[in-house]
Amino acid sequence: MAVLVAGIGGDGSGAAAARTAARVANLMGATLVLVFGYDPTRLGPRGGPLEEEILAIGERAIDEVKAEILGLYPDLDIESEFVQDRAVEALIRVAQARHAEVIAVGHGGEGPMRGALLGSITYEMVHRAPVPVLVVPDEAETE
Amino acid sequence: MSIAAPPSTMADKGLKGGSLGLVAVIVIGVASTAPGYSLAAGIGGIAAKAKEHSPFIMLFAFVPMACIAASFYYLNKADPDCGTNFTWGVRAFGPKAGWIAGWGCIVADLVIMPNLAGVSGQYLVLLFSEKAAQNIYLTTTIGVLFIIAMCWICWKGIELSARSQVVLLGTEMLILTIFAVVSLSKAFKGITKIADVTGDDGVVTATTYQSMKPSLSWLSPKGVSTSDIIAGLVLAVFIYWGWDTCVSVNEEAKDSATTPGRAAVLSTVILLVIYLITAFGAVALLGPNFVSDNSGDAIYALGKVALPSFLLKLLIIAVLTSAAASCQTTILPATRTMLSMGSHGAVPEKFARIDPRRLTPDFSTWFFGVGSIAWYLLLVIVSHNTNTDLYSSSIGAVGLAIAVYYGLSGISCIVFFRRWVLKSAKNFLLMGVLPGFGGVVLLYVFVRTVFDNVKADGDHVLLITGTGLLLAGVPIMLVCAAKYKKFFSYRPDPVETVKDPNSNDTLAAPLGTYVKGR
Repeated sequence: MAVLVAGIGGDGSGAAAARTAARVANLMGATLVLVFGYDPTRLGPRGGPLEEEILAIGERAIDEVKAEILGLYPDLDIESEFVQDRAVEALIRVAQARHAEVIAVGHGGEGPMRGALLGSITYEMVHRAPVPVLVVPDEAETE
Repeated sequence: MSIAAPPSTMADKGLKGGSLGLVAVIVIGVASTAPGYSLAAGIGGIAAKAKEHSPFIMLFAFVPMACIAASFYYLNKADPDCGTNFTWGVRAFGPKAGWIAGWGCIVADLVIMPNLAGVSGQYLVLLFSEKAAQNIYLTTTIGVLFIIAMCWICWKGIELSARSQVVLLGTEMLILTIFAVVSLSKAFKGITKIADVTGDDGVVTATTYQSMKPSLSWLSPKGVSTSDIIAGLVLAVFIYWGWDTCVSVNEEAKDSATTPGRAAVLSTVILLVIYLITAFGAVALLGPNFVSDNSGDAIYALGKVALPSFLLKLLIIAVLTSAAASCQTTILPATRTMLSMGSHGAVPEKFARIDPRRLTPDFSTWFFGVGSIAWYLLLVIVSHNTNTDLYSSSIGAVGLAIAVYYGLSGISCIVFFRRWVLKSAKNFLLMGVLPGFGGVVLLYVFVRTVFDNVKADGDHVLLITGTGLLLAGVPIMLVCAAKYKKFFSYRPDPVETVKDPNSNDTLAAPLGTYVKGR
């Protein structure tokens, strides 16, 4: 079965991308995989509450998006993955492991300069993804 | 509020990140120790105490730190909590001791911030103008901006890629090595420098500095008084600070059985070699007095004598990048200790708040940033008005705080694993002898330093910042104890529940499983 992958941030960013991906997945009869990538920086101690709180944030964000999408497409097959890695790596890894057709990512509206300097996920994704990338502005209306 | 669930279930929740290779683990270990900055900040004070025996002190200080790393390694197996010393303290001794251990860690990190900011401000200005570096307003402003920038980086969760870290650290090591080699060769030839030195009384005298032929006897403590060794040690433990956590608390290389061990050994060798040759070079170049007379910017002063100007600029840049790396490894452990304390209910819950977008503890980070700036400005004002050496004193104060909280960790390890310590010779050595020795040495260094300084009416800044801030934790802890009854009703893990750290299942039950009256 075909798979589409969408990245969700802890603040719910990427929800618009997930909605668009859901719409496509629904038409294709594909599975939508929502990915939350988190990576507490490698320097310094990181276990225990730090990871728990971060995972709780990710679960909350994914649940919200999932509920919203299921409201629109009740029959859609939605899965979620929590990957302990930077968001871009997480998306690429899941996309490769699941042989995804498309990776959908949100775009927060930062300019090209800012995006390149401050490590915009979208910017990096477009340049590194092994599969087609669907970039959806975060405030986009899908319906 | 979630309470520590065993990370094994967490791993089930998601894929683990790609494991780090040997080079990356070594680089992280060495970079977080920040050799360039540590030398710039520490060598002046160390040379003032140990004279030409500075290389000995720098080697010797490693011993207790390495011993404590063994306790970190084992305690981390029982509870890999980002609160490290805090959580382990609770498990071994109960909530009050744990709270104080956490406080000790935060205090150590807070106390070093003025030094980091000061050195960064000063060296950044030195890059352009030596005269402007005397301008305290300029360097202080840059120092404050530096703290803000570093907090911002930690809050944004920005991290250099492994490759950029390798390049930065490689450059730092190379330039330090060149500095040491050139210094040593000049010392063998023999050089002299006459400089005007302003004494404590404000009188300027011309002082002649003479290079010294390096000698292996510098590696022995012979001729250094015990008080000076202790005073040197309290400064020198600081240069290894950071090495332990990154080497011993590194789970990412876990899937390889050999990487962490090899990385620990190799990063140790690299650190020891670089500290040793630079200490030899620094002391030999114009004698130890030149180093201690220029303790405010020792590496710069030495570099100016030894190196041509473009290499000197590189040396300054190496110190700066190293300070930036060190700043990150200072802010992160402090804020994560606060996060852990907040999450376990030992301090207000706000400290556990995580920014959902950046996934970093935002309240803790900025709280620490504001605290650091306030503390930095206070110290600048005090030292400017009293003409004391702020930098060496704060290194000493950090040494005191490190000695306390590392010392406690060593003892925690023995107490926590008391059921297993005598089970085998290996256990006895790694969980008993090493942590015990490291803990006792560090706690002795603390007591002796305080005692020596009180008796001799010595360094007040050191005493006030080192012990005063630690003691200030007691009333704050008591206020928290009155407010957060649940956390303070926890009791240490009962000895029969502690699992064998050499087995496959090493994780302790979540913190808070064992409560008084149950």
